[in-house]
Amino acid sequence: MKAMISLEINGEVHEVAVAPHATLLQVLREDLALLGAKKGCDTGGCGCCTVMMDGEAVYSCMVFAMTAPGKKITTIEGLQQNGKLDPLQEAFIETGAVQCGYCTCGMILAAKSHLSSHPSPSDQEIRQAIAGNLCRCTGYQKIVDAIRLVSVGR
Amino acid sequence: MPLSEVKEFFVPQEAGEVAALLARFGNRAVVLAGGTFLHGLAARGLLHGVDAFIYLGKAGLSYVKQVDGVLAVGAMTTFTELGSAEPVRNLPALGAIKDALQYPPAQIRNMATVGGCVASASPLFDLPVAFLALDGTVKALGPKGEREIALRKFYLDYFEHALEKNEFLTQVRLPKAAARSASAFLKLDTNANDLALLNVGVCVTLDASGNCRDVRVALGGGIGKIPVRAAACEAVLNGQRPTRERVSESAQVVSSDIHTVSDHRASAQYRTAAARVLVKRALGRALSRLGVEVN
Repeated sequence: MKAMISLEINGEVHEVAVAPHATLLQVLREDLALLGAKKGCDTGGCGCCTVMMDGEAVYSCMVFAMTAPGKKITTIEGLQQNGKLDPLQEAFIETGAVQCGYCTCGMILAAKSHLSSHPSPSDQEIRQAIAGNLCRCTGYQKIVDAIRLVSVGR
Repeated sequence: MPLSEVKEFFVPQEAGEVAALLARFGNRAVVLAGGTFLHGLAARGLLHGVDAFIYLGKAGLSYVKQVDGVLAVGAMTTFTELGSAEPVRNLPALGAIKDALQYPPAQIRNMATVGGCVASASPLFDLPVAFLALDGTVKALGPKGEREIALRKFYLDYFEHALEKNEFLTQVRLPKAAARSASAFLKLDTNANDLALLNVGVCVTLDASGNCRDVRVALGGGIGKIPVRAAACEAVLNGQRPTRERVSESAQVVSSDIHTVSDHRASAQYRTAAARVLVKRALGRALSRLGVEVN
């Protein structure tokens, strides 16, 4: 049976009717047309569905939507401020850290979450921060370059 | 069964309410904590006959407390919360927990819970092996009230534990460690999201004369249906001075403690060889935390 819940996504409150098994990823993509979070493995192994909940990176394919009320959810659509891309998004463009693009939104949100508590990560820490995100195009180096570009003092 | 067949989703506000719902649904309900294991089970067709989810997130089970030296961890505590608890960050005796939490990626650490990880009864998980090395216990709540079960007696078989169908796990407890105790954990894996090919947790205490006592060595991963203690390894070290030779000897005999399995990820021979290396390194790491260098 579906139930009405309210979700705070990118600062906006949405009322949605969700089934008991519905994941946050399904609600984002299918009910709210927020298509930044991608469906990849759908079992928490690839990272392309990564969003932030209360600032922490999570696999939205594993979050039951019913558990998300009361959390502040941030998707890639919510990173821009007044039409201006987040510096991390700009860094991905500047370093060419995108090829097919399927992993990119998850990569950026995993990195964004890590940088918020660790603003000056070493390259090793950057690699650990994105260890839960797979990229099959870039070989990761340009992604690490992009994240380093916005790391404070590096 | 597909998850879409689940009809109800309950969010009880306290542990007693969870117990009441379980009494009503029994095996037809799944107690849901972080949920990181559930989708994998469902995707593999291993979930059957579930009518309801009972979510623990609002039931007051997210906490890490240290009372009289005992570390009590609420079932709903995430890996991130456990890892940032002061005793886990700073006490050598809890080093195995700190080590085990280094392996999963951030997305799992932020969602996966201590209770879910233990109650899933997967022999491939990491924290249960660390907890076994720390001689942990679990608390369960059911219609007859609360009871405490030693982790050594908790795992019965592949994905099977000692909880009754109307019981659920509320807390993991780790006993107070002796003064000169340290623990460590190591995992053999191939990537950040991999289940253990093999994992090892150890705990060592040094007595007043610098000899080992209460040595505990636990292994999991591809060694059968449940995580186990390695009695032969422990016997080699107990009462003895922790020299490099003694630690090597202890690690060598691990092959008599475990029955490694062959599967598509690794052969039994490889796992046995790796077990000797990991036990030696884990003992070395724990001893190093006590200021004794053997590696």
